[in-house]
Amino acid sequence: MTTLTVAVRRRSAWRPAAGVLGVVALLVIVGFVVPAVFSVFWVRSFTTSAIYAIACAGVGLLYGRLGLVSLGQIALVGVGGWITLRLGYGTGLPYPILLLLAGAGTCVIGVMVGIPSLRLSGLNLAIVTLMFAGAFAIVFNATGFPNGGGGFLGRATGSVQRLALERPTLGRGDGGYFRYVLMVAALMFGLLALHVRSRPGRQWAAIRQSEAGALASGVDTTRSKLWALAVVSFTTGVAGGLLAANAGVLDPGNFGASESIVLFAVVLIGGAFSLLGGVLGGLLSQAFPSLLDEIGVNGNLILLVFGVGLVHAVSTAPQGIAGQLQGLAALVRRRVGALEDG
Amino acid sequence: MLEVRDLTVAFGGVKPLDGVTFRLDDAVCGLVGPNGAGKTTFFNCVSGFVRPSAGLIVADGTELLALTPHLRARWGLRRTFQQEQVIQALDAYDNVRVAADEFGASGHDVRDALAFVGLERVHRSGAALSMLERRLVEIARTVVGGPRVIMLDEPGAGLAEAETERLVALIREIPARYDAQVVLVDHDMELVASVCSTTAVLDFGRLIALGPTSEMLRDDTVRRAYLGTEEVLA
Amino acid sequence: MLKPFIVTGLAVGSLYALSGLGMLVLYRTTGVLNLAYGALGAMAALISWELIQQGTEQWPSYAVGVGAATAASLCYGGLLGPYLAERESVVKATASLGFALAILGVLNWYWTDDTRTLTLPTDTSGFDVVDVRVSTTQLIALALAVVVAVGTSVYLRASGTGTEMRALADDRELTSMLGVRVRRVEALAWGVSGALAGVSGLLLADLTQLTANSLTFLVIPALAACVVGRFRSLGWTLFGGLLVGVLEAVGTPYDWIADYRSAAPFVVAIVVVLYLQRHKTVTIGAAR
Repeated sequence: MTTLTVAVRRRSAWRPAAGVLGVVALLVIVGFVVPAVFSVFWVRSFTTSAIYAIACAGVGLLYGRLGLVSLGQIALVGVGGWITLRLGYGTGLPYPILLLLAGAGTCVIGVMVGIPSLRLSGLNLAIVTLMFAGAFAIVFNATGFPNGGGGFLGRATGSVQRLALERPTLGRGDGGYFRYVLMVAALMFGLLALHVRSRPGRQWAAIRQSEAGALASGVDTTRSKLWALAVVSFTTGVAGGLLAANAGVLDPGNFGASESIVLFAVVLIGGAFSLLGGVLGGLLSQAFPSLLDEIGVNGNLILLVFGVGLVHAVSTAPQGIAGQLQGLAALVRRRVGALEDG
Repeated sequence: MLEVRDLTVAFGGVKPLDGVTFRLDDAVCGLVGPNGAGKTTFFNCVSGFVRPSAGLIVADGTELLALTPHLRARWGLRRTFQQEQVIQALDAYDNVRVAADEFGASGHDVRDALAFVGLERVHRSGAALSMLERRLVEIARTVVGGPRVIMLDEPGAGLAEAETERLVALIREIPARYDAQVVLVDHDMELVASVCSTTAVLDFGRLIALGPTSEMLRDDTVRRAYLGTEEVLA
Repeated sequence: MLKPFIVTGLAVGSLYALSGLGMLVLYRTTGVLNLAYGALGAMAALISWELIQQGTEQWPSYAVGVGAATAASLCYGGLLGPYLAERESVVKATASLGFALAILGVLNWYWTDDTRTLTLPTDTSGFDVVDVRVSTTQLIALALAVVVAVGTSVYLRASGTGTEMRALADDRELTSMLGVRVRRVEALAWGVSGALAGVSGLLLADLTQLTANSLTFLVIPALAACVVGRFRSLGWTLFGGLLVGVLEAVGTPYDWIADYRSAAPFVVAIVVVLYLQRHKTVTIGAAR
């Protein structure tokens, strides 16, 4: 049998680099145009959108790449926020270090929860994560978030002055903090993208296709899944840290089971299979309600929209809005390509 | 070399494998038997997906029971499944690369394996590959990075006759090219006869015959197992 | 003294069990774990309350409330059941989560966050059992849970439709080929579970509080009951609900654990799931 020389089409090396530069340029533009054009209310809304986009990207990665339904991610945001607040008050560490520590701490908690749970398949995992969401919500309600007091829980009682966590020097004002958040979000997205495009991402694709097939290809599926959870927990924890400095305080009421479910819903609606979906999810969960508020629609109807959207996304459009946008973009590219070749 | 000693799988009163003992030394060996004979259980056991209740598995002198499935694969015990497992989300190249990454092989080895199986559309997405191309990708995945024993579970399933012939020619070359033994299960007796020099026959979880393939196909015990205890037509 | 808390715990626990049983029967028949169960109960309770506020008689109001929950359940099951029939159970459950959110949104929109109470006429009477006062409502809850558990068990085994339900749970396609009117059996399952959801909702609204949020998320303790029942056993689901209810209530008088006691259902569910799945094996198959 003659040996065939396989022509491996060399993927243009400049493509990914150009893509990254493009995204960076876009973020810089957005970072300066948005605060200039929009009101303070909207800048703040977009800031929280960017923060939640990080959490959404994590949920999307677990579901889109690994088929894991995690209904407890908001709890991890809360953990990250909690660590940031506690360490922020207790130590004098600079803010970026706080974020890293929050990410690391959340990573540890996420992995601890994951070790027994990742063996579980689909429905069981969804149930367990929902249970964790509920349990964490109760704990947050009982312990509250640190606000300058002493002791492990850091709760200030009585007449001790309650403090608000200070923002980093680079991002004091609303515009400045918006840019800071964009920068950190870009780094977190970059971290996730890097994983998806290299060996871990390929392992995850193998696991999603067939766990047995992945094992037969030598993949240590347990470790690979745990690594996904570790990375996602880290980025979600960092998001929690950003949230802590955003308002300076955190309210346990924002970290309930309901919020975790809504997070999952917006990720599916926005698109769980791409990072763009994460961005859309963030906007859906934070900016969209603000928009509806502005035009006078009752905030509760948002839940109706998300609920119907989730049912729709789950049954018909697994790629979400992002997927459909990307499909459209691909279509346009093909048409343009045909015209050029034509 | 692949050897099993007293291999038994038992659960809930059923024994898909019952004290199976044999040794395969030839370069390409076959494993046949009627439906429910235990062939797939045997493969699952050897590759680590099913825990035996008793017995030993030795390959190339190494005891395999202590290794989990992915470690057995890394050691060199490779297998395919009846249902094809090509990763839809990745292209053919990356499909093989997944295995290469785990087996310590380079991109060069991946290209080599793909050239060996004769797959041309290397950057085609897994979802767009034809059935033959999928089977070829699966074989490429088994040969990359130092295989020792390659178990193929119905490699010809779903293929047309011409495609099966191409596959058979490919399988014949594996031992020489990769220094690995091939053990294959298939229902197509012609395929087995054309490429396997030795064949083991299972029935009801037991080994009923082992020897040169041509003899096995003429053996009365074997024919009775397939056709029942009715009078065997000459 | 723990006794009054045990009683409260048993009463609320029976309702967790009742909800769990309703979810279990639906799950076994259609493969759908209906996470909107609590929301349906909230719907029934709020509609009943609204009608009573507007002057309607009590019992007709309750009937309408339960009827609404039944109707909503049938609509959802009828529209989405066949559509999602081939998908895996986690997808069906996630869709029902969307259903829950949608209902919750509508309920919160119409009935804003004020304090309301639902007082069933059975609240005023009661009995003394082992020197603890037990209201008739609480007794009804407990009795209902037991009756439904036993009754469903008998029905599934002894009646024709019951057997059909069990067949459906096993294999939908095969069952339809055998000539069983699959849609009709499924409709029965959705209808009955919807009605049970409504009734549970009314009782829970009476025994705990009447807010859309809290009632909707009481699906979680009900889920814990199903978990203890391994999504299979009616008896163990009953036990699981009672266990979770009692554990939750018993922590009330103790200061150090009081705030955390409502985490009991979650902890129980987590522990049970992890314990039961400790020997998980890898399935050989490909993703669809």
